[in-house]
Amino acid sequence: MGGRVVLLAAAALVALTPYVEGQGRGGAPQNAPPPTAKAGAAFDMTGYWVSEVTEKWRYRMLVPDKNDYQMVPLNPEGRRVAAEWDPARDQATGEACRSYGAVGLLQIPGRLHITWQDDNTLRLETDSGKQTRLFRFAGSPPMNHEPTWQGYSSAMWGGGEPRDRRDGFGGPAQDAKGHVVVLPAQRKEPDYLKVTTTRMRTGYLQKNGIPYSSNALLEEYFDVFSDPYTKNTWLVVTTVVTDPQYLVEPLIMHAHFKKLPDATGWDPTECRADEPR
Amino acid sequence: MRSMLLLVLFVLAAAPASAQFAFAPPRVDFTGEWSPRVYNTHMDIGDYTGMPLNEQGRLRAETWHPDQLDLPENLCRPHPIDHGLRVSVSQLRISNELDPETRQPVGLRLHVWWQEPEQVIYMDGRPHPSPNAPHKWSGFSTGWWERNTLVYRTTHLKEAYLSRNGVPKSPKAEVTTRMHRYGNLLTIVFIIHDPLYLTQPYIRESSWILDPNQVIPPFPCEITPEGTIVPAGKVPNFLPGQNDALHDFAIEYGIPFEAALGGAETLYPEYIKKMKTMKVAPRTTTTHYRRTQ
Repeated sequence: MGGRVVLLAAAALVALTPYVEGQGRGGAPQNAPPPTAKAGAAFDMTGYWVSEVTEKWRYRMLVPDKNDYQMVPLNPEGRRVAAEWDPARDQATGEACRSYGAVGLLQIPGRLHITWQDDNTLRLETDSGKQTRLFRFAGSPPMNHEPTWQGYSSAMWGGGEPRDRRDGFGGPAQDAKGHVVVLPAQRKEPDYLKVTTTRMRTGYLQKNGIPYSSNALLEEYFDVFSDPYTKNTWLVVTTVVTDPQYLVEPLIMHAHFKKLPDATGWDPTECRADEPR
Repeated sequence: MRSMLLLVLFVLAAAPASAQFAFAPPRVDFTGEWSPRVYNTHMDIGDYTGMPLNEQGRLRAETWHPDQLDLPENLCRPHPIDHGLRVSVSQLRISNELDPETRQPVGLRLHVWWQEPEQVIYMDGRPHPSPNAPHKWSGFSTGWWERNTLVYRTTHLKEAYLSRNGVPKSPKAEVTTRMHRYGNLLTIVFIIHDPLYLTQPYIRESSWILDPNQVIPPFPCEITPEGTIVPAGKVPNFLPGQNDALHDFAIEYGIPFEAALGGAETLYPEYIKKMKTMKVAPRTTTTHYRRTQ
């Protein structure tokens, strides 16, 4: 009986071995990660997109009143700072871009133009406020990166984490040399873009001066899909803002954008403290 | 030969539904307790902002009166789950749905706290029922995987609301839902298609945070024997053109009245310029007729 179990286990190992990653001929690993972020893109985000505002409409299509921060988990310090909002002062002191910083930018109605700046950098431009964000797939924030409105964004294609690394016998799947590998049955395809942004200047979550601090952490999850009714292509972003300086808990926001065939309607505007876009 | 054929037919008929369809195994584990992070907008009469309503939908919405909620038959009326997940105190539990006889997985079950709507998403490839089959609060849902996203289509929904302020959703509506897990964050995108009351699909999103310690309490609801504040036989409503609270929301927030009534045009950035040419009533009120539940 014991010999039979050993035999079965050996047969299973032999059957699995040819499919283990890293066993390619001539030393070239099979299923190696794509050489660039562009080559390994989970989906195509490039092109022109327009905001469709179906939620929080009066906070996005208008400039809300001072101290209107319903649905924002502001702490007392956040409320105090929000109460000091003065759009005329922001405009006069060169701070009109505060609401166009990375955290609030995609909440502002407008158009996006997304391109690959290079093989490992996705470039997102907005007509509202004429801002540019760079999503860098390689490297990490330099220590001396000065805070900017758009901060420093690190990007990765997410969702490709393997389901389970066990080999069925209690240990992690390994190749013949003992390296931990991912078996084909464990593999998943990446299917979203995660962008993590830090090093931002103090800005506004909403046009009416609801603050976030320069210590805020911005995490964004982008997804692209086609809706079954119109066949339009949509870009959806889920935004998580963590900022203990002004928020009692992370704030989650959403925005979605419709794919456009071209640049028609692109309407660049300067940062304006007293306008919705 | 004939008896053999009968035997085959008998076996097929006796087989549980789940045995007749191929189950799509999960690519992502959505099961667990999820704590809501929802916006909860559209509580005010006359706030149809951001909704691609057509004229029929707007007219129906304008006739709605908040006291309708106090009709005995409405006291324990649930929202369909696509709406309940957004507007109520929507603690969410997702569990595996097993065939009661074979104990084989057939899909997922969603449970929400407020009024306890339940939705089963069948992942075993079974077809939707006939268009004439009964409509239910949570409809009939079948799902499939698009990479790591669970996508499901819900039909056979009862007539219900799109929002808490009485904007209707017709029984012809269907909802395609996309559920995506980003670590401990769950985002659900609802794409509502209603040929009766909307001019284009209405897309909105909500998110939840994984909370293994969440306990969803029971939601007992029963009609009080002494009745409600609405006298028997009365159906509160506003006749067309006679809703005297309709303008309050727009006046309070300084929104052009037309813009507050929604429509596809109002969803896009160009409309901001157009609003500057529209009449805005003086902001003479800071209160409005508002639903609180």
